[in-house]
Amino acid sequence: MIQTIRLHHLLRESPSGESRCLVTRPTGAAVRNSIERALESSSCATVFLDFTEVDLLDLSCADEVVAKLLLGASSGACYVVLCNLRPDQVEAVDHVLRHHHLAVAAVPCGDGASADLLGWADEDTRAAFGSVVSTGPTTAVLLAAELNWAYDRAERALTTLATRRLARAEHGAFYPLPFQ
Amino acid sequence: MTRVVQVPASFDDRTFDQFAEACGSWPPDVRLLIDARQAQWVSPYALVGLLTTGQALADAGCPQPLFTAPQSDDVKRYLARTGFFSHAEGLLEVHGKIPKAASGPTDALLDIRAIRAMKDVHDAVRGISDNATRILVEQLGIESKETYGFGMALSEACQNIVEHAGTAGWVAVQSYTWRRRLGRRVVVIAVSDSGVGFRHSLEASHARQYGERWGDGAAIEAALIQNVSRFRDPGRGQGLAYIKRFVHQWNGKISIRSGTARLSIVPDWDDDEPLAEHLPFFPGAQVQITIPAPGAAAS
Repeated sequence: MIQTIRLHHLLRESPSGESRCLVTRPTGAAVRNSIERALESSSCATVFLDFTEVDLLDLSCADEVVAKLLLGASSGACYVVLCNLRPDQVEAVDHVLRHHHLAVAAVPCGDGASADLLGWADEDTRAAFGSVVSTGPTTAVLLAAELNWAYDRAERALTTLATRRLARAEHGAFYPLPFQ
Repeated sequence: MTRVVQVPASFDDRTFDQFAEACGSWPPDVRLLIDARQAQWVSPYALVGLLTTGQALADAGCPQPLFTAPQSDDVKRYLARTGFFSHAEGLLEVHGKIPKAASGPTDALLDIRAIRAMKDVHDAVRGISDNATRILVEQLGIESKETYGFGMALSEACQNIVEHAGTAGWVAVQSYTWRRRLGRRVVVIAVSDSGVGFRHSLEASHARQYGERWGDGAAIEAALIQNVSRFRDPGRGQGLAYIKRFVHQWNGKISIRSGTARLSIVPDWDDDEPLAEHLPFFPGAQVQITIPAPGAAAS
C-alpha cells in the first residue's frame, strides 16, 4: 500500500497559509510534523511525498522537511519516495541530504523521468540502485554477474540499499521501491 | 550637539565605509544629521544601510537622526519608488520635499521590505516571484527555469536576519546597469540589519577555536567560508553555503560587512579586496549579493 502526501496541501495548513513556497525553517518544521503525524496513523509500507504545486523550496526548508524526516524515527517504519520535484528542488534536496550523509529515492517531474537516488551514496550503492530500478528484482548473484562484480561487493551494495530503505529486501531478493 | 554625516554623492557598497566613518564612534554621543542633499546615486545596499542606521540608533536609545532628502528629483523619486521614505518613518526625521511614490512598472525586483519575522521572509519571496521572472529573463537573459535560485538565495539571506540579528532588518532587490564597474546589467540583493552582528552571534560557540584571531573578520569567515552556525543542529549553516554556490554558479559576488570587517568572495570582474579589517564600525550585518548578466553587453 502506498500513501501519497501532497506537500502543497500541508503547506496550506501551516502557519505560512496561502504561500506555495516551502521556505523558512518554521514552515518546514510544521510541514514535517504534519507528515510525521500522517505516518504515525498510516499502515502503508511506502509514502510518496508529492512536490506538485510547490513553487519554491529553499535549503532550510528542505533540511527541515526531508533531512529531519529521514533522521527521525517515524520514517523508519516505511519507505519514503519523493516525487514530482523540479530540477531546482532536486538540487536543494540533494544538497541537504549530502550534508547529513543521507539518501532518498526520488522521481523528478516530467514525462518519462526515471527514479533517481538523491543525497549521499557511494558509487557501488548508486550502481546497485540504478540496476534494481532498471531491471527489477535482483539478487547478489545476478547483480554481480550484471555489473561484473565479485559476489561480496554486490551483496554489500544491495544490503546497503536495503538498510538505507532505498530498496526492499525479501528472502534474499532485493526489490525496487514502487515509483508510481 | 549635532554631527553632520555627509552621504557620498555616489552612495553604494564602495563608499559605505565613508558613511560609517562619518557616523563616528558608536553609539554616537550627539545627534546625527544625515545630509543626503548632494546624493546623485544611492544603491539598494546604501538604502537599507540608511534604514539600519535609524534602527540601530533607536535600539541604542539615541535621538532620532535628522535626514535631509536628496536635492536631485531623480534620486528622490527613486527613493520614494523603493518605499524608502515610508520605511524611514519613525526612524529618520526626514526634511525636504518628498514626492509621492510612483506606481507602474519598475526595475526593482523587490522594493524595500522590512524583515522582522519569518512571515516577512515568506512575503519577500512571494513579492519577488511576481516581477522577478520577467526582469531576470528579459534584462539579464537568464532562463526562466533558473530564476528559482534568486528566490532561494533571497529566502536564506533574509532568514539570517530573523535567526541571528535579534532585531529588524531590510531587504531590497534591484536590477540595473553597472556601466563603469562591469559594463553589464546586474541584479543586486541587499540585506541589512542592526542586530548583534556575526562576531557576537558566533562568539560563545566559536571564539575559542580562533583564539587571538577572533574578531569581526574571523566571525564572517567562519560563517561564510566554514559554514558554521551558532546552533548545534547539524543541519544549520547550509543557507550561506547555498548562497555561495549560487553566486559561484553565476560568476557573482557576495560581500558581508559586520562590525569592523568585510569579507567578499570576489569574481574576476571585480577588484575588491577579499578581507577588509579595521573598518569604521557599523552595527549589525550588511550583505550584498551581485549577479551579473551572463556575458551580455551593457544595455
